[in-house]
Amino acid sequence: MHNKLKLSSVFVCCSLAMSNHVIAQDSVFVGHLADMSGPTAFVGKNYADGVRDSLAYINENGGISGTRLESETIDYAYKVPQAIASYKKWYSRKKMVAMQGWGTADTEALISFVARDKVPVFSASYSGHLTDPTGKNPHTKKPAPYNFFYGASYSDSCRGLVQWAAEDWKKKGGKGNPKFTHLGANHPFPNAPKEACAEYATELGFDVQPAIVISMKPGDFKAQCLSLKSSGSNYGYIGNLGGSVLSLVKSCNTVGTDIQFMSNIWGGDKKIFNAAGEGIKDYIFPTMTPFWEDQAPGMKLVREISKQSDPSGQEQRVHHYIRGVCSTFYMKEAMEWAKENGGITGENIKKGMYVKKNWVPKGLEGVCLAANWSKDDHRGVNQVNIYKGNYNKGNVTAEKVSVVTLERRDDWLGY
Amino acid sequence: MSSLTMRPCGDFRTSYKQDNTIYETKTIRNVAIIAIALLCCAPFLVDAYFLTLFIQISYLGIAALGLNILVGYTGQISLGHGAFFGFGAFASAWLNMSFGIPVLLCIPIAGFLTMLVGMLFGLPASRIKGLYLAIATLAAQFILEDFFARAQWFTGGSAGSSADPVSIFGFVFNTDRSFFYIALFALVFMYIWGCNLMRSREGRAFIAVRDHYLSAEIMGIKLNKYRLLSFGVSSFYAGIGGALYAHYLGYVSAEGFTLFMSIQFLAMIIIGGLGSIKGTLMGVVFMVFLPEVLESGVGLMKMTDWGNIPMVVDGLAYIKEMAIGLVIILFLIFEPEGMAHRWAQIKNYWKFYPFSY
Repeated sequence: MHNKLKLSSVFVCCSLAMSNHVIAQDSVFVGHLADMSGPTAFVGKNYADGVRDSLAYINENGGISGTRLESETIDYAYKVPQAIASYKKWYSRKKMVAMQGWGTADTEALISFVARDKVPVFSASYSGHLTDPTGKNPHTKKPAPYNFFYGASYSDSCRGLVQWAAEDWKKKGGKGNPKFTHLGANHPFPNAPKEACAEYATELGFDVQPAIVISMKPGDFKAQCLSLKSSGSNYGYIGNLGGSVLSLVKSCNTVGTDIQFMSNIWGGDKKIFNAAGEGIKDYIFPTMTPFWEDQAPGMKLVREISKQSDPSGQEQRVHHYIRGVCSTFYMKEAMEWAKENGGITGENIKKGMYVKKNWVPKGLEGVCLAANWSKDDHRGVNQVNIYKGNYNKGNVTAEKVSVVTLERRDDWLGY
Repeated sequence: MSSLTMRPCGDFRTSYKQDNTIYETKTIRNVAIIAIALLCCAPFLVDAYFLTLFIQISYLGIAALGLNILVGYTGQISLGHGAFFGFGAFASAWLNMSFGIPVLLCIPIAGFLTMLVGMLFGLPASRIKGLYLAIATLAAQFILEDFFARAQWFTGGSAGSSADPVSIFGFVFNTDRSFFYIALFALVFMYIWGCNLMRSREGRAFIAVRDHYLSAEIMGIKLNKYRLLSFGVSSFYAGIGGALYAHYLGYVSAEGFTLFMSIQFLAMIIIGGLGSIKGTLMGVVFMVFLPEVLESGVGLMKMTDWGNIPMVVDGLAYIKEMAIGLVIILFLIFEPEGMAHRWAQIKNYWKFYPFSY
């Protein structure tokens, strides 16, 4: 008993001592929330690896013009209380200047805190309502002045896909109005683009069908596929990710629906296509980056970064990884600007995000799309690359079918 | 529970007043008052990290106490507590945003609204028991979760809804330091209320219903009334906890009020001690600190050279998740009556030291 007590008190003392250790002068702290063991770990791990490797790479190569990046990755397993506690710990103890966040859960729980504390957050939650920093659009419930993300919002991606679908329908010589259905769980993430996208689809002459609810967890979706079949939908937008998409594709194949699937950015990558197997045929999905095998000039740097956690360089990263890299490098360049213009603080990093126009981080040409953030418009990217995935008996391919550039319509800001 | 049935010999109470005190002895009362006074100074002594943990303990603790009144004192079961917590959060934000009611009023009104909803879903409780009731309340969880995602006018749908911070006479409680006092006040108020409820006629009726519903009915206790009332009180507490959560974060999203949260509330009261008010608080403290302690363990590993490689850190993250489950299982095996029981035993040990029996 005494030994146990001694041991535990030593442990407590150590942890107290460690948590109060002094940070060296020329370093700034960046927090990194990741989900590697929770419900979104399927893609969360890939994205987190991208962010973490980039942070390590930046440090190895001079940091932020000489300033070291202190960082800590916490796997919060998609639990809001852990995300809040980690944020508070970083903000109060380590003087965090910026944060790399992850999903809808943590990003939305922290909106008010980061706005008040002036800590820019670079999330992988692409909800449209995060793009309205001043609350101009009446749809915006809560302005999110310190939230940034790299890529088109869920709504904009869906609009891009719908635009592609309208052209595709014409090209195929379809008669009448094509039918469009939203498929996804009744949950903030799949629901995020639901209305915005349906509105635009109606504008483009689609006959929008009632949305079909498909659980986020993998299951048997034949009943849903049958109702898809009976409604005669031509285009279906998939709002889910991971195993749920797999089950959906397989179930609908069994039922024999004749529908063109289009998924959100998290619902299509080569890992899914490999796992789904034969069912994947002309599966449409958006991306914001090239693929691992593509020969873009910036991919050289991405492969270097990947060696941080995979020294052999053998691992084939999915495109979510590369998006994590882009997100980190935009933050890095904004920090560099901040360092030259008054010091690396959250406020200056935010200003740094608005400086460059058609901004591509140095060394990542051809990887990250040109982005434009401005004081009252956080829609960084308004371009959607549309790819088509095929299984081809084990030879998984993804070919680019179209690039849609969306207008920056005022009524789409934050929606 | 143990203090009622297993009172140590030599401890006689000669009047109803003595039997009915909140604090068993004067010393305990003084310690409690001093502890609260010390907590009032906490914002000047500790940083935002500990304050945010305390605030978490406060809003989760209030909701957990509600569940303990239902499960521990009345012997009913509810698997929908997380959803009621969420309902309170949305209701308070909705009242505040749509009608411009001051936040301080919104919180209790949200509590009462949640109470109504809770009683509606608790209606089956007057007819069914045990596993059947568990499944009936599970339905409440799923119905409410779906409602949160659909009811645009109430929750803002997928965009969520924002909530103003608490303000009194122009002073805005929007920092951890200032909100700490709101959380502390709410916690103390609701716990004293809980203690008083249990000392009252209604509280005794709850316990009677739990211990033997047939005898209770024969004694003239209306089973339906008290079962339903217990659901109401429990949801009221959940609603107050949820409302505090909403105004602390300033933003409510339909994420998070899942079945997992309901289970976590159950875990808190089982670990703390069913049918014990201070046990509830102990369970909540335990559940809030456990992941943080494990996280700091992982943090310690990261400080070392051999530990700070992604493989080890990721492995530890999994172990951390598993350890939470493991600790709960160990608790159930070795402390089936909860932390409150252990605390009572430690107290007894010292009271009779060195002649413990």
